[in-house]
Amino acid sequence: MIQVTNLKKQYKEAVVLDVDKLDIPKSECFGLVGNNGAGKTTLFRIMLDLVRATHGKVEIDSRDVSKSEDWKRTTGAYLDEHMLLSYLTADEYFQTLRKIYGLSEADLHLHLGKFTEFFNDEIVGKKKYIRDLSKGNLKKVGIAAALMGDPEVVFLDEPFENLDPSSQIRLKKLILQVKEASQVTFLISSHDLTHVTEICDRIVLLEKGKIINDLRDKSAMLAKLDAYFTG
Amino acid sequence: MLFELIRLEFLKSFRSTAFAKSVMVAIFLGFLAIMLLGYLLIAGLFLTRIIEQLAEGQDPIQVLNSGLIFFFLVEFMYRYFLQKLPVIELESLLHLPISKRKIMHMLLGRSFFSPLSIIALILFTPFAFSEISTQYGVSGAIFWLGTILFISWTLHWFMLWFKQRFEDSLIGVVIVLIVLLLGLGSAYMGWFNLGELVAPFFNFAMTSFIPLAIMFVLCSAGYYMAFSYYLNNAYLEDLAEEEEVRFVNQSVGFFSRFGMAGELANLEWKLIIRHKKSRTFLMLSAFLLLYGTIFYDNPAYQSGPMQHMFIFVGIFITGIFMIQYGQLFLSWNSGYFDFFLSRKDGVRNLVRGKYLLLLSISLLCFLLSIPYVYFGWKFLLIHLATFLFNAGIMIHLIIYLALWKPKPMDLNKGAMFNYEGVGAAQFLMIIPMMVAPYVVYLPFAMFFNFYAGLAALGTVGVVGIIFFNKLSTININRVLKNRYEISSSFRQEL
Repeated sequence: MIQVTNLKKQYKEAVVLDVDKLDIPKSECFGLVGNNGAGKTTLFRIMLDLVRATHGKVEIDSRDVSKSEDWKRTTGAYLDEHMLLSYLTADEYFQTLRKIYGLSEADLHLHLGKFTEFFNDEIVGKKKYIRDLSKGNLKKVGIAAALMGDPEVVFLDEPFENLDPSSQIRLKKLILQVKEASQVTFLISSHDLTHVTEICDRIVLLEKGKIINDLRDKSAMLAKLDAYFTG
Repeated sequence: MLFELIRLEFLKSFRSTAFAKSVMVAIFLGFLAIMLLGYLLIAGLFLTRIIEQLAEGQDPIQVLNSGLIFFFLVEFMYRYFLQKLPVIELESLLHLPISKRKIMHMLLGRSFFSPLSIIALILFTPFAFSEISTQYGVSGAIFWLGTILFISWTLHWFMLWFKQRFEDSLIGVVIVLIVLLLGLGSAYMGWFNLGELVAPFFNFAMTSFIPLAIMFVLCSAGYYMAFSYYLNNAYLEDLAEEEEVRFVNQSVGFFSRFGMAGELANLEWKLIIRHKKSRTFLMLSAFLLLYGTIFYDNPAYQSGPMQHMFIFVGIFITGIFMIQYGQLFLSWNSGYFDFFLSRKDGVRNLVRGKYLLLLSISLLCFLLSIPYVYFGWKFLLIHLATFLFNAGIMIHLIIYLALWKPKPMDLNKGAMFNYEGVGAAQFLMIIPMMVAPYVVYLPFAMFFNFYAGLAALGTVGVVGIIFFNKLSTININRVLKNRYEISSSFRQEL
């Protein structure tokens, strides 16, 4: 589904990302962990063509992301609040996306229905601009938006951050449901090792821009990561 | 889809916080824009008469054609300072399945809907259809006007590219300076006559459609250049470029003698050179040092009632930074005001540090203005008196007024037509600032003479300087007393 080859990102002399090869098959739940400055967000941004790669390329569905834009229709992402149109209300934002993705009102209704519990009555039908929402609620809007339009790939950067414990648990359930139902490939970066090892089939550990571990054995993941981060 | 994007743009401008939170300022600005465009229209209607007055006995069309190049040089300058780049909202659209081309066309198209785009149209349409059409026919008028419009619009696209590519870089400043020199060198120094060199092109435009066609092609090329540059640079890193840390360790050594207040003055200096808005203010005060050249050499102001204008000019030259920067006194620190509140004596030293900085820059401006002695010793005295008055009285007055309901603002936005942090206080405070020096100066100047007025200004200033501690304590206590209101207003969303 996603191939990364010889990817390198350099700011002047400093190499912030250096990934030789990374293959993410369809319907995998791919977790990305690493300390601050490891290059998690940069990797996601390059994969989404928001930042230019210095060398190498990223392909989604065998299409180079920097050459075409077709992949955007089947890719959902929420990295930070700048991806939202902050001057709309949440309802208006979903309506706008509905038009952009060419969905019907019924599709949208069905989609948002999945989030009823997650939203906890604080998002839909509220007369409040997105810019005035709390950080947790911003994240909820962004995640619901990223999952809109039946994407094949979904990127989430730190999805558990700023969410209250109930919402974190609901989000895990939601991701697992979506994955079961429609074979979506998830790419999730997180600092929360418990959550990410629970939902992901594979975890890649980044350190200073390099992949230093690629864990696929679900039973041993948490112990190995714990050992690494304890140092 | 395009319609949807346009609708979003409308929503965005109507819901922008600046607009929603201060309707008064928005109305005022709208009114100002309409008034300015109205003036332009009147100037356009009377353009023939104005030219006849200025250049008696010459053919107005010839005079205008040889002056047009200066209009475009001026246009280059005001576009450089006023035109905004339409890139901020990209981040929220780039990850959606809308093609980048569409987004770019929309952003560029939107930038075109600006009062700047119709200035040339308003100013020259009446002239084209009254003067040129009588001599060269309606088609001549249309060709001529079209040529002018397309030059103006070419500048629009060119400037979008130029500012994105070169803003804040040395090359950009050099090019702007060259344009300035071209204009000044030709108009004032008489090195060469730019107007005469370019006039044949505009003369040709009245009889042939070729110049119009050339400019149309250039305008399209300009659009395409801007479009492809923006398209190829539609990446987060290029648009919201993280500023490189410049001027590292460039502290002003002399401040460190003043203890913590000096340290905070140093911090404030870093704030000024590291933010776009404050940098523009600093640049403006450098430009305004030249303000005197308009008046001091002009025979109309040398004697009689007009020479009282000099006080105003002197106050401006030595104090413009104080006036502009001091107006938004605490708003500069709105992003991290709590930082000062949570430190022992933080606010007190912040205010003292700001005093120190403003006084130092004012002194620097005074020193830099010494070469005006070239026009006569009188001007040195004027600058000395106004500097003393600025340092002794005006600074306290400005800060006192600025402490009336300060508002938060974002330092990373440009300074021109950016009214963040500006409230009614900032508009109203212009009045006492204009009046105060004259209250001291005029009685003495009227009863005795010009120099007595200057002496009065200087003396009052010196008295103010002697009582500096008393006067500044008033302002410091005002901040301390209102600290809860101020800090809670700064914590609001912009």
